[in-house]
Formats: sequence, C-alpha cells, structure tokens
Amino acid sequence: MIWFIAKRLLWMVITIWVVFTVSFLLMHAAPGGPFDRERKLTPEVKANIERRYDLDKPLPVQYFHEMFRDLHGDFGYSYNLGDFSVNQIIAAGLPRSATLGILALVFAVTLGFCAGVVSAVRRGGLLDFTLMSLATIGIALPSFVIAGMAIIAFVFVWPIFPAAGFGSLRQAILPSLCLGAPFAAEIARLVRTGMLDVLGQDYIRTAYAKGLPTRTVILRHAMKGAVLPLVSYLGPTIVDILTGSTIIEQIFAIPGLGYHFVQSALNRDYTLAMGVVLFYTVLLCSINVVVDIVYTVLDPRVKVE
Amino acid sequence: MLFNPRNLIAWLALLALAGATVWAISFSPDPPADFTFANEAEVKSLDPAIITGQLEGRIVDCIFEGLTRWDPQSLEPRPGVAESWEISPDKRTYTFHVRHNAKWSDGTPFTAADFLFSHRRALDPQTGCDYSYIYWTIKNARKYNTLRVAAGDPVEIELNKPADATSFARGEVLRGKLVSVEPPFPKDVATEEEDPPKRTYVVEIAGKKRTFQPGDGENGCQFVLLDFSEVGLKAIDDYTYQITLENPTAYFLQVTGMFPLYPVQKKCVETFGYPGWVSAENLVSNGPFRIGSRKIRERMRLVKSDTYWGRNEVRLNSIDALVIESRTTALNLYLTGKVDWIPAPPPAIAQQLLAEKRDDFHPMPEFTIFFYRLNVKKKPLDNKLVRQALGLAMNKQAIVEGVTRAGEVAARSFVPLVIRKYAKYANYEPGQCGTYNPKEAARLLAEAGYPGGAGIDTIPLLANSDDTRQMVGELIQRQWKESLGINARLVNQEWHAYLDTMNKKDYSIGAGAWIGDYIDPNTFLGMFVSGGTDNQTNWSNKDYDRLIADAAKEQDDQKRLQDFHDAEQILMDEMPVIPVYVLVTRNMVRPYVHGFFENALDTHPLGRIWVDAEARNRLLHTEGLR
Repeated sequence: MIWFIAKRLLWMVITIWVVFTVSFLLMHAAPGGPFDRERKLTPEVKANIERRYDLDKPLPVQYFHEMFRDLHGDFGYSYNLGDFSVNQIIAAGLPRSATLGILALVFAVTLGFCAGVVSAVRRGGLLDFTLMSLATIGIALPSFVIAGMAIIAFVFVWPIFPAAGFGSLRQAILPSLCLGAPFAAEIARLVRTGMLDVLGQDYIRTAYAKGLPTRTVILRHAMKGAVLPLVSYLGPTIVDILTGSTIIEQIFAIPGLGYHFVQSALNRDYTLAMGVVLFYTVLLCSINVVVDIVYTVLDPRVKVE
Repeated sequence: MLFNPRNLIAWLALLALAGATVWAISFSPDPPADFTFANEAEVKSLDPAIITGQLEGRIVDCIFEGLTRWDPQSLEPRPGVAESWEISPDKRTYTFHVRHNAKWSDGTPFTAADFLFSHRRALDPQTGCDYSYIYWTIKNARKYNTLRVAAGDPVEIELNKPADATSFARGEVLRGKLVSVEPPFPKDVATEEEDPPKRTYVVEIAGKKRTFQPGDGENGCQFVLLDFSEVGLKAIDDYTYQITLENPTAYFLQVTGMFPLYPVQKKCVETFGYPGWVSAENLVSNGPFRIGSRKIRERMRLVKSDTYWGRNEVRLNSIDALVIESRTTALNLYLTGKVDWIPAPPPAIAQQLLAEKRDDFHPMPEFTIFFYRLNVKKKPLDNKLVRQALGLAMNKQAIVEGVTRAGEVAARSFVPLVIRKYAKYANYEPGQCGTYNPKEAARLLAEAGYPGGAGIDTIPLLANSDDTRQMVGELIQRQWKESLGINARLVNQEWHAYLDTMNKKDYSIGAGAWIGDYIDPNTFLGMFVSGGTDNQTNWSNKDYDRLIADAAKEQDDQKRLQDFHDAEQILMDEMPVIPVYVLVTRNMVRPYVHGFFENALDTHPLGRIWVDAEARNRLLHTEGLR
C-alpha cells in the first residue's frame, strides 16, 4: 500500500512538472505580452514595468525563477489585477466556486442517483424513457442555454430568484441548479448502467429467490454495487465542479475561480494563469490518488498493485 | 461485524457532504448601498498612477481628487483640492491655491508638498505610469520621465535600494552635474529608442568625478535622471503649488482633473509599498469617498469620507460597485432593480431600447472614433489615390444604420464633431474627407493604375475578435468588392495578438478605436506626427508635423484651432486613416438618480450625485420589483 502511494505521488510530481513546463512555454509563445495596450507604452516605461516583473530576463531564467517561487507555494503577483497576489485571488475565488459547487453536487448526486435507480428498476418503461431522455438533453444542452432558460423562467416570468450576484442563499440556488444539471444527467446515466449491471448478477437472483421483497433487494443489495462507477466518476468531477465554471460564473456574476481559467490566458496574465493551472492540477492529481485508495477499500475485487 | 472500513468511508463521505453543505449555505449578506452600479470588471488597480481604464477611473474618481475636477455636464474645470488658480500672461505658469481645509482620509492636513510627491512619483520611471505622457506638457517632465540627460545637465542619481525596501520608496539620491553619457541619447526628446542600450554616466559630484552604470554592478545605481528641480513642478509653500509648462497648453486645466495627476499620500505609499498601500485596510485618500471594503471580483463598497472638504455637498453615504463582466447580466440586474446604473447594455439590444423610447437611455455621441489604420508601407496602400478610393467606397451611413444601430454617427473627420458642443471649440472646423462616392472611388483607383481592382492582391483587414467589429468588417468587405473590385480578407485576432500585430506594423489595414483623453483636437491629431508611438501607419508628413508643433506653441485660441484644422485636412487628404463612425455613450440610469449627466468623455464623477429614495420606492413598486 505504501509503495502504491509513493509510486502515485511520484507520478503526480512528474505530471505537475510537465503541466508547468508546457503551460509556461505555451503562454510565453502566445503573441503579445501582458503590458500591450491599445495606447502603446513608451519603450522606457515598458522596460521598467518588465523589469519589475522579471520579464527582462532570458526565458530560461524566468522559468527557473518561477518554478522556484511556485515550489514555495507563492504564485507571485497577478499582472492584470496588480493589487492582489495570485494566492489572494485563488483564496478569494475558491470558496465562492466551492459554495456553488457543493450545492450543485448535492443536487446532482441526489437527483442523478434517484433517477438512475428508478430508471434501472423500471427499465424499458415510460418513466425510464422520460428520465433518460431528460438526461440526454441535460448532457447535450450547453450550460449557457440552460442558464438562459432558467433566468427567463425564474427571474422574469416567475420572479422568485435574483438575476445574479453572490452573497445570499437565494442568489446561489439558480446558478447551482444550472451548474449541477449536466452532472445530474450524467450521474443518472451512470447509475442506471451500474444498476442494470448489478441487477443481472447471480447474488441478486439469490436474494430474490430467498423471497426478499423488491425494495430490500434494491436498497440493501443492488445499490451498493451501483455506487462503484459513481465513485470513480465523482473524483475528477468534484475537482471540476468545485473550481468553478467559466460560463455559469459569468452569467450569474459569481466571483469564483472559473473566470480566471480562460481570462487570465487571454490577458496574458502569466502568473495568474500559471497559478490556477497548477492549483487545478495539484487538486486533480490528489483527488485521483484518494479515489484510487477509496476504491480499493470499497471494492474487494480491486487489489493494489 | 465490529468494524467495516467500507461503512466508515460511506459515513465519512456523508459527514463531509453534510458539513460542506452547512458551510455552503451560511451566508452573511451585505446590506444594500445608497447607490449601486455595475462596473464591467475588477479594477486593475486603485493606484491612480498605474491605471489607464475607464472602469478604474469610475472608482478612483470617487476616492481621490485632483487640483481641479471636471464639471460632469460642461466638462469645464471646477475647483478641486485647489480652490483657485492664476495663469501667467504667457499661459505657461499655473499657480494653484490649495484649500486650507483639505484633508486626507486619515485626518492629516493636505499640503502642496503632497502634489509634488505624487507627481514626481508618477514621472519616476520606476513607477511604470502608463499615462505619464499626459504629464509631458509640463516643463522637462518628458526628459525626467524617459531618462533623457545630456552632458552639462544637473542630474540626480538614485542608488540601488536595500533588498527589503518597499516598492516606490526611493534609494539614496545623489545630485551632481553630468559630464558625459555614453552612448548619448538622441537629441530630440521625441525620438524614441525602441531598444534602449546600456549606458555609462560620468557625473561630477562635489568636485569629484564618479561613474555610474544602471544595474547591480560595482558602479550600479537605479537611474540617472535629470535633476527634479529642473522639472516645472514647485511647492512654493504649504498651500501654493506651481506648474510651469513647456508650451501654453489650452487644455491643461482639464489635465489637472485627470486621475494620473491625483495626489497620493507619501506616508501611506512609502510605508506599505505597492500593492500594500492600495488595500482596503491601508489606503489613505482625499476624495469624497473612501474604500469601505473590497471583495475581489465581487464588489467594492465606497463609504462617504468624513474628512473631505466638500463633505456637505456629498449626499450619498455609500456606493456599491459590483463587478459584472457580462453585459447581459448587468442588464438583467438593472431591469430587476438591483443596480441603479449600468454603463452599457449589450450592443445587440441597444436598438430595441432606443425603439422603446425609454426615459433612462439617452445615447449621445462620444469623443471616441472607430477608424481603420492603413499601413502606407504596404502595397498598394503606399499610393495615396488607393487610400482615398478605399475611403470613398466605404458607405459609413450603411454601417451605422445596418450594424451598430445605437445612434452612432458616420464620420468624415478624425476629430469627432461632438467637440463643438463644448464652448471653446464651438467653431472648430474639422478637416474632412469626402462622402460616400463609389464612382469617384473607382475613378481614383483606375487613375492609380489599378482599374477595377486589377493587380491588387487580397488585402487582409485586421480586427480584434469582437462581434461588432467583425460585422462592420464584413460590410466593408462587400462594399469594396462591389465598388472597387478589391478583395479584402477578414483577419480576426484575439486582443493581445491583435495589439502585437499592430505594434509590429505587420498589418495592411487594421481596425482601431481612439478615446479622447480630454476635449481638444490634440488628443486625436497629436498621435499621427512622424514616428509617434500610436501612429503605427508608417505615415509621415512634414507639414502636418509642423502644424501640430505650431498649435502646441500658439497662444491664440483661434489660430491654434486653425492649425489643427489645417493639419486634419492634410490627414484626411492623405488618408493614412479612414474614420468610420463616432461611438455613442450607452448609459442606462434610473430616473430617480440626480446629478448624472451624459457627456462626450463618458465620465461620471459620483461625488455629487444623489438618489431620490421616495421616487425609487415608487418606481420599483410600480414595476413590481419591491
């Protein structure tokens, strides 16, 4: 077990290093720099700003400087939001994205799980067909369409939620529903498949043969097996959902982390872009290790190799 | 079954989920402010010497105040920190009298020395002030700012700082006389060096010659600058501040109201450095409001300052600036009564709003032009006739009626005509180019040797990825094809890539917009002098340069405007740029907000606006929002 964890950690370090290097090179290869303006800076002023941010040094020097700094958990100052350090920006954005993400997750897991189980049990029935059609639509529709429809319905036609903003539970509900909807759909499909798989197993037949009522068979015996595919799906999904969605956050003006993933690159905000990418990578890798360990505990068939 | 790790994990997961949910649903909402508006993004900084943008200006205008401030309606200078001023007969020296009751937000008295400190800091190359060129009308400010010195000049040498020094705190400063500098700078301060070389300075200090080389080496120093006492900025006493200019600058009292010239407090800046000094806890300012709290990308709460000299005129107790990046979202918040002002609804909806004849949407032409730069070094644009043909074949009316549709005005001049709304410029005659005339355009093209577009390769038409610019480009593409037989290819680049291409002059025709800094033709025409940083067209014309230089020196307003007219006429005949249309302001402001005015610079100081609370309640009630 310890060997397994050590090996996974080693791979994690290598992954992060590769991500760091590729992001660094891509970012510096993109045309333009963080201090390009429509009104061009005078060369002297530009040179001084670049000096302040170490951008006057050759690229390899910048690379090692940055790596050294990042290794200490200090991502430096944002170029575009110069009043803040990248650490401050992440620390401010993450809880907001996470708030939304947790609510979305609770919604997605509850709804998705129930829908999946019901569909599997009523396989081929009208209910199954309806639920799975909804799930397909949920996966297929881009989130801005869902959000747009939700805003028309619940902000303007039937005004029960505020249009946007962050700071109260009422403001958080609509965006978390929109954020969670595609995940709920995907979970429903996963759970349904998992359930169907389990329902065909011998031990379920045995349970029925013992004369157990359907409810007990489903709740006590079948559902446990159906959870497994969900666990491996939830690992990366949790990271995804907690670090925020660019689109949902923009539509509902949520000051989360999602916005920076795209905008920092467009702004050539080297430090911020690097910061969020590294943060995301570390989080994703760690969760994957945790999921692998949990899996070995949950499913006795899986052995640590 | 005593212990089953599987059950434990299930319970742990449930517990974690429950805990997380409880955390996620516990909020502590802020009470709403007296006035709330949607700012379009998180401000890049609150440091007035660093920022450049309009959305930063909205906040900084609330918390700081310059020597003068702008009247929101007439854009005339009004007394700010300076209660009065005198201008010398040669219009080169401005003497400002600082209010005795002006105070910083920490209660300390405000003096003329604060301006001297702030203005020197903005000019210090170390500060990296984007907007420093706005100072260059001040005597020797450009030299000081761009490190220009020549043998014989009195200089100041800033030695390297200890490693733990805060940014903006200066190192030890030595003063002396420059003996030599190798390699020397270009003679003319306006000639920029793309890639400044490393220099060696020999300075005579107290009779001894010393050598300096900026950098970390043995003779290292930060900078060798012109002695600051040579710059036309003086604090005569605690309440008298004097500025001496290079040239009589007719618009200078507008400049003193711009944020790059706002004062900052020396103690605050030097104690905390950047960015510590602009944090909500540390920031000391001198305007009608101070920063109450700041949540990144969420909101900035501004609170009325109780030390501001004019606090009795300030009627709002608090302002919320919400960060709303999406214009559609901002509009939704406005329509549901959550914000009182949005600076711009989505462009696509402007026409519909106009058609509704609302009482809260009154677009007005801005001092901003949308135009195309033509790179005169690229064939066939090196031929003046081709450039004129391209201009004449552009149906600008069709663009403003078919694409932009919010009341934009087709332009025949580079300086937007709205300038005439302002008293001093009421009779400015802009130099104009011809109106849409496809026949004449085709004739000119034939005269240039390209009849029917024969012999002209496809011309790339560069713009940044923006829906409106793309649609405008498509229309022009069709117009040129139909009238001239010229094929244009649209090239859309993401913002920074676009800026890079333009800066490298690696384009043929490029879209651009220019926002006037102040009301004066100079803010538009000054950019096209030979080698100007923002010229970017490779175009150069001696007569034009001379007229712009004459206008700068001219004391008589009428003659000055005549110079600008003549210069603009040359620009419109030579056509290195094709003006397309003048943009409009697009503010939506609830009618219960008073003291808010549309103006050509789209600047809206919030210090003196007020909200009729009763009318607000009534209105929101009728709209079913309360």
